[in-house]
Amino acid sequence: MSDEELLNKLREAFKEKIIESSIPRKNIVNIVVPKESYKEVIKFIVENFNIPHIQTITGIDMGNEIQIIAHLGRSITINVKTSIDKNNPQIDTITDIIPGASFYEREVYDLLGVNFIGHPNLKRVILPEDWPKGVYPLRKEYKPEHPKPLRGV
Amino acid sequence: MGIINWARSRSPWIVHLCTGACNACDIEILAALTPRYDLERFGVLLKGSPRHADIFIVTGPITRQMKDRVVRIYEQIPDPKFVVAVGTCTMSGGAFRGCYNVYEGLDAVIPVDAYIAGCPVKPEAIIQAVATLVKKIRSG
Amino acid sequence: MSSFTIPIGPQHPALPEPILLKLEVEGEYIVGVDVDVSYMHRGIEKAMEYRNYIQNIYLAERICGICNVAHTVCYTLNVEKLYDKEIPPRAQYLRVIIEELNRIHSHLLWLGVAGHEIGFETLFMYVWRDRERVMDLIETITGNRVNTAYTTIGGVRRDITSDIEYKIRKTMDIVEERTKYYKSVAAAEPTILNRTKDVGILKTIDAINLCAVGPLLRASNVKNDVRADAPYAAHDEVPFNVITYPYCDVFSRILVRVDEIFECINMIRYCLDHLPKGPIRIKLPLKPPKGEAVTRVEAPRGELLHYVLSDGSEKPYRYKVRTPTLANIPSLCRMLTSTGDYIVKIADVPIAYASIDPCLCCTGRVQIVDIEKNKKWIWSWEELKEYSKKEWEKS
Repeated sequence: MSDEELLNKLREAFKEKIIESSIPRKNIVNIVVPKESYKEVIKFIVENFNIPHIQTITGIDMGNEIQIIAHLGRSITINVKTSIDKNNPQIDTITDIIPGASFYEREVYDLLGVNFIGHPNLKRVILPEDWPKGVYPLRKEYKPEHPKPLRGV
Repeated sequence: MGIINWARSRSPWIVHLCTGACNACDIEILAALTPRYDLERFGVLLKGSPRHADIFIVTGPITRQMKDRVVRIYEQIPDPKFVVAVGTCTMSGGAFRGCYNVYEGLDAVIPVDAYIAGCPVKPEAIIQAVATLVKKIRSG
Repeated sequence: MSSFTIPIGPQHPALPEPILLKLEVEGEYIVGVDVDVSYMHRGIEKAMEYRNYIQNIYLAERICGICNVAHTVCYTLNVEKLYDKEIPPRAQYLRVIIEELNRIHSHLLWLGVAGHEIGFETLFMYVWRDRERVMDLIETITGNRVNTAYTTIGGVRRDITSDIEYKIRKTMDIVEERTKYYKSVAAAEPTILNRTKDVGILKTIDAINLCAVGPLLRASNVKNDVRADAPYAAHDEVPFNVITYPYCDVFSRILVRVDEIFECINMIRYCLDHLPKGPIRIKLPLKPPKGEAVTRVEAPRGELLHYVLSDGSEKPYRYKVRTPTLANIPSLCRMLTSTGDYIVKIADVPIAYASIDPCLCCTGRVQIVDIEKNKKWIWSWEELKEYSKKEWEKS
């Protein structure tokens, strides 16, 4: 199936729920959907286009909101984008549709503070145990610096 | 020189720890033990347990999660011990200077006896460092 | 039978990189696995936002020292997509050559380490001696053995002359002959067959559902390779075969990697025969236009992904890297869990863990905690390997 056919099928199925869609380069399809339709769009893609593979989930701090992008696919890449409010970052999990997404969601939770509702094992995966709670390194307001040395030189 | 120093200098055993490195220095240390460079002709053996070792080789910028382990392993090595910091990352943080999870060098965590620079360190430099250390042990 | 937890924690003699594997054990059999990967976190994605695009090439390279070429190729292809300019074909072919050389050295490295995990030290020493020839070749072409930064934004840094081309061909002949010997050893040697057949099984359906990548996926009979599905650089013009084996165990993974070395050698020869003439680099401005790009590359361990979001300045707004080992960790947990009639013993852990080719090594101090009797004892990784060797000799 070519990328145009795929995009047309998605447009037919979801009509006004898709905020924006484009094909920026060959074999890359971008669609932007509201938070509520994120999970059903991914479910549709997995079931109808025979794409069981998720590449990763990216989280970006855009200032007022956090953008979540789910990259799916093997030969054609479909990027499903959605935005959530930074003060109350919550979104549905997709681990019941694609079990392989569990570590990616945990990483976004750890580094950006997004809560994935329904995740079976949402806990720290990448930051050390003694990292202070509530501090999210990938948010723009966090400024990186070295930890204090244990001994003077 | 004393028989203990003689014995220690003829077969320095090493324990190796990677504290969050990119692996390049670690692979070069292992390559130094293989037939092309052959560190084993100095009597050097790579041991798994810190209690059997004389020399503590550390690579990588020390990440926050690893600092307790570094200190613990350092304390487990029996005296006299020597600490060798391999690679630019252990000396000053290297390419990761300024990152939030990384200390500014091994000096910030344990006392260090020798530094080997390089990113990654060439096996020839490792051989030179071991030879210098062995000479230092022999002279007391 | 009480169930207790064994943490296999950070400190390993052969393959560096700390990881904590918490195994839940009932008697001899493992019933649950939890993985802690926080030891390696260095904060690279945040650091990339504070450096410009050229400085980030060197930082991207040091994400992994073994597959450093895959990271630089992916990074430069990714950033070049923002500019939307044509990269000279000679540069793309040279990128393929250095990438395949990197893959050969990584697979030979893994073969030696797998031999070391089984206890086959001779294989380790032999294979690493041959790997040194490939490292010499990389040093001749690029100037450094590891962390070469050969590719840059706009092309590659150095050209190859006819002397270097002659050396490459000669080395490829030697490596091919040695690899044929290793394949005959791996396929027939009883030690290896006993330790690796039917160990660390990952069924095809699990591999697909848990989104495994790379040789792990191909050894479970799924024909999937980024170079064939979504070709990048010159891979749409260079022919090769995607290697799969149906056995789904550690033995299958050894065969996949050894056969991939042969494919790499053929690809390098094809590239040298068809190397286009022309410039190797074009000049690009330091500030790319606004936009975003995503690139996937087949690193030696699997599918590697880079994503960039640029706001028009000389530093990226957001850079995301997803390494293949992170994608393989759920499959590792499934592989080490006993379910139904498939039993996993503690003795299988070293080789099964090494077979996913972790680019995040575990150095192990095994601490066994018996919750009921409140006893603790510590094994080093050496002792765990001795224990697993003895268990295999008994059976």
